Amino acid sequence: MTERTVQKVTLAKGLNLGLRKAMEADDKVLLMGEDVGKLGGVFRITDGLQKDFGEDRVIDSPLAESGIVGTAVGLAMRGYRPVVEIQFDGFVYPAYDQIVCQVAKIHFRSQGRVKMPMVIRIPFGGGIGAVEHHSESPEAQFAHTPGLKVVACSNPVDGYWMIQQAIAHDDPVIFLEPKRQYHADKADLDEAATPGPLFASRVVRQGSDATVLAYGPTVKTCLRAAEAAAGEGRSLEVIDLRTLSPLDMAPVLDSVRRTGRAVVVHEAHANLGMGAELAARITEECFYSLEAPVLRVGGFDTPYPASRLEEEWLPDIDRVLDAVDRSLGF
Amino acid sequence: MSDPAATQPGGSAGFGPDLAEVFGPARLQPSDEDGGPDLVQLLTPEGERVRHPAFDIEFSEAELRGFYRDMVLVRRLDIEATALQRHGELGIWAQLLGQEAAQIGAGRALRPHDFVFPTYREHGVAWCRGLDPLKLLGLFRGVDHGNWDPAEYGFGLYTIVIGAQTLHATGYAMGMQRDGVVGTGDPDRDAAVLAHFGDGASSQGDVNESFIFAASYNAPVVFFCQNNQWAISEPIERQSRIPLYQRALGFGFPGVRVDGNDVLATYAVTRAALQRARDGQGPTFVEAYTYRMGAHTTTDDPTRYRLSADVEHWKLKDPIARLEVYLKRNGLAEEAFFSDLAAEADELGHTLREGCKAMPDPQPLDIFDRVYADTPEELAAQRDGFAAYLASFEGAH
Amino acid sequence: MPEYKLPDVGEGLTEAEIVTWKVKVGDVVAVNDVVVEIETAKSLVELPSPYAGEVTAILVAEGETVQVGTPIIAIGAGEMADRSVGAPAPAQDAMEIDLSNPAASGGGEGESLVGRMKADRGPMRRPRRGSASPSSEAAAATQMQVQGSFYPGGAQSQSVVEQDEPAVPAVDVRADAPPADVRVLAKPPVRKLAKDLGVDLRSLTPSGPGGTVTRADVEAAMTGALAGDARPVDGRAAAEGPGGVSRPGERETREPIKGVRKMMAAAMVDSAFTAPHVTEWVTVDATATVELVERLKKRRELRDRKVTPLLVIAKAALLAIRRTPLVNSTWDEAAGEIVLKHYVNLGIAAATPRGLVVPNVKDADAMSLPALAGALEELTSTAREGRTQPAEMAGGTFTITNVGVFGVDGGTPIINPGESAILCVGAIKEQPWVVDGQVVPRQVMTLTLSFDHRHIDGATGSQFLADVAGVVADPASALLLS
Repeated sequence: MTERTVQKVTLAKGLNLGLRKAMEADDKVLLMGEDVGKLGGVFRITDGLQKDFGEDRVIDSPLAESGIVGTAVGLAMRGYRPVVEIQFDGFVYPAYDQIVCQVAKIHFRSQGRVKMPMVIRIPFGGGIGAVEHHSESPEAQFAHTPGLKVVACSNPVDGYWMIQQAIAHDDPVIFLEPKRQYHADKADLDEAATPGPLFASRVVRQGSDATVLAYGPTVKTCLRAAEAAAGEGRSLEVIDLRTLSPLDMAPVLDSVRRTGRAVVVHEAHANLGMGAELAARITEECFYSLEAPVLRVGGFDTPYPASRLEEEWLPDIDRVLDAVDRSLGF
Repeated sequence: MSDPAATQPGGSAGFGPDLAEVFGPARLQPSDEDGGPDLVQLLTPEGERVRHPAFDIEFSEAELRGFYRDMVLVRRLDIEATALQRHGELGIWAQLLGQEAAQIGAGRALRPHDFVFPTYREHGVAWCRGLDPLKLLGLFRGVDHGNWDPAEYGFGLYTIVIGAQTLHATGYAMGMQRDGVVGTGDPDRDAAVLAHFGDGASSQGDVNESFIFAASYNAPVVFFCQNNQWAISEPIERQSRIPLYQRALGFGFPGVRVDGNDVLATYAVTRAALQRARDGQGPTFVEAYTYRMGAHTTTDDPTRYRLSADVEHWKLKDPIARLEVYLKRNGLAEEAFFSDLAAEADELGHTLREGCKAMPDPQPLDIFDRVYADTPEELAAQRDGFAAYLASFEGAH
Repeated sequence: MPEYKLPDVGEGLTEAEIVTWKVKVGDVVAVNDVVVEIETAKSLVELPSPYAGEVTAILVAEGETVQVGTPIIAIGAGEMADRSVGAPAPAQDAMEIDLSNPAASGGGEGESLVGRMKADRGPMRRPRRGSASPSSEAAAATQMQVQGSFYPGGAQSQSVVEQDEPAVPAVDVRADAPPADVRVLAKPPVRKLAKDLGVDLRSLTPSGPGGTVTRADVEAAMTGALAGDARPVDGRAAAEGPGGVSRPGERETREPIKGVRKMMAAAMVDSAFTAPHVTEWVTVDATATVELVERLKKRRELRDRKVTPLLVIAKAALLAIRRTPLVNSTWDEAAGEIVLKHYVNLGIAAATPRGLVVPNVKDADAMSLPALAGALEELTSTAREGRTQPAEMAGGTFTITNVGVFGVDGGTPIINPGESAILCVGAIKEQPWVVDGQVVPRQVMTLTLSFDHRHIDGATGSQFLADVAGVVADPASALLLS
């Protein structure tokens, strides 16, 4: 009889355990990136893995993102399952060409003969008081690219399961990790549990007055906003989208048909962010159920500011609740 | 058909000569702790003045004292900023500990019309350009992304994306060519660009592309690489199998390795390289061979990936200590000089601490007007809406 | 006493463990002397003191883990001097919070980045100026304007809802736009309802905020319910008659509830269960009216008109309304007011091929008898042909329903939604009546009045009914009602 191991873990620890599990399950899984080996990653996500799996499987890369993703493409073609770490969201751009032109298109180009079972892990989002390029939210650009799948975990337990599922998946997955959560909240992880599917959104709080949609770092923000709203006599339903491409719309539409109101919350700029796509789809599918237009709360349409302004720039409880007020006011 | 491998004499399984032996680098050397035989040095770690046939220059006492003072104050600036991060006054700080000579030597070789493209660690070069060190702190404090006008100081804003600035440097140099300030022979007119980057950056595509462009256009740019042996946790061996200065030959311009902990040599080599560029002779690669004595930044923990023995080894090559020995042994500076300098360093520390804490916070509404030269209406409306939102809270004025 | 708060030493760390204190209470430290070693999720870090002075308290024990922003040591009050210089010590006085930048007030109160990961306010809103949530329309409008402005495209909403402007129908705001160019405002569910019922939104007077047509507006338009047969919204016949699908030999037939039927049902339910109905009736000797009708038919003014007892009763009702105007009013729940109309749009319930219709004659009270006769005649013939327009059905203030055509005496009519009373006219039959102590056959009818007992009391209702009956019994008494 298997012992159930339940332990309290942070997101960093959950991801670390998940990566370990994935590497134990399949010899072809490789980790590669800057400082992932000896150092264990600047956020310690890959801590201890090079020691146990060796330098051939946990690879410290030269300082060149395009080189890292490009060589990962070659490794994938050779039958390996590379898990690439981009050190910070703002540094993915040198690799953007390889991602969009190669990783995303090779399956299509080869009519399915060549698969790209690659995971590109990207710490994303702000709130850690960092300098430029360390707090970006580029997910919409990848979700907009056919051939890529894009997911975002929001909590340690999802981190643990989703990273394993993404690695086992045969399509390339952009795996977004909310860096402000890495060493923050802990959750009970039961490794013997059975996870839900990877590409599924989830209702994390039930409610009836409005549906609030979030992913990654804003899930926590929206849950707190819902708590505050409850104190005002309003019942908000919060959905953790988890998967951005493909979107799992069924729970979302079901929810909006019940509440009649939707608000999308993300750190990325509101203009042309994920909220825009969600608004379009919800409006099309739930037109006659809508009591208000779908509203979006996002970062302003300026580059991410100096960190002393970031808490004002990022969507917070007040901005979320203002949008809810506005929605209920229609 | 017979197998050629079985019948041919010589090399690898009969497929011709040993390519490495005949066509490759003569010996593939791992990174030499002492810098290798090509290392240009004018002051040994023990404080002995040595001669180099290619760089036979004399330094005045005032110049030597000046170098020393610069390095001491820059080190102090670095130490204070590191402490301020630990106090919670800065979010992060990129330490230059150990690289003072590389930066002061290069910085003092600049002429007023030259232009510098730094990374995010060139606090010593900023010092030489006359930038108030307090201005550097704003970025690390999270108050701004760089609060000086590059044109005023001939010193670009710090670039966090690794290596991006080398392309900018090359383009700027191409602009100088078109402005007719290269190769005129007039020392008050001719100018060059100093492009900084590290050993890690030399792996980035952008940096290699900047070499290609600079070579193709014969641009007046000195590519100054501070090889401090580490890119966060990754040693230089991961970035290159060949000493970095030797790469330049592959791109078509000269490469020089200088002892980056020797301010005299760094000055001499950089001065020569800059002059070459000003004269219209094109780019030069200067590799300042040095060591990152501190962490990559204050968020890094070097004890996880490097041996303290290595650090101890480099402590013996300290750039400031060797010059101090030289000054004292040769009577080039009075006791008062050193005590005055110590007081000046303390004063600098105090000024930085107070100045840092007194830095005004940025205003949230300012960012909207800084995105574009010509702000679109919809963005102005967004700003106004945000202003109204902020004003709607209790406690707002 | 300055306290050194635990900083975030490594980009997003939230806590650290105190590993070793390097000083103890009573030690004197200079700025930047190392005072403690901490362990974070990333590494072991030594922390230098921000202050010079004597250590007065160690606030966290070795081995304890605390959050970023927690004071860990208190230094000062002894030698406050910055030892390295003779200058005054960098005492951490509480700096004024810059209130224009609320961000600065997270954690370290604007002093330092310590605890900059915004001090946990907990799941609650920051207090707003004035009321917590806007209580007034203007405040709500401001809030919507504020919010709308910095959402993408929100700049638009700023211009539509002007601050301080009362919530009047769109007609005011859009005064410049030719009505035909401006699309009717209505929420998607309301549009669908109108579409299903064949109601043309353009024909309605919007009563919702911002000039929107509401669900109630659509339902009111369908009162007495005729589907938009003249201008079907999308060309399909919106309402179907009572005929359903029926197979011979089936024991049941199902007819869909839609169109006219649906609207009528909604209107009936709305009225019946909102207004407390009281019904009164009076049986009256209408012989004089019957005789009057014959005489009127011969008059020159009415030669080409249809003259019936209903015309006389209608006129009587119009006159009686003057004395009891409450029966011609509306109970406005939302506004908390009773609206007395200074005009009468007299509705006449009519049976049509499509069902019950209640078109009304606008400003019937201002009409002469011939005009009224003409209007009633046209109204009923239009209805019989099924050509009644929605506009003709909207805006009624008082209704007469004639059950007499079926030979029925009276009933308990349901008030038209939006009105306050309804008069039901029964059949005129020869019945025994007492005249001067004798029982003789006379032309007798019953008049029934249902009224909204919220604002119309028995006296008022009875008075009205009595007035009408009085005219029917003796038309000359109309002179007294003028």
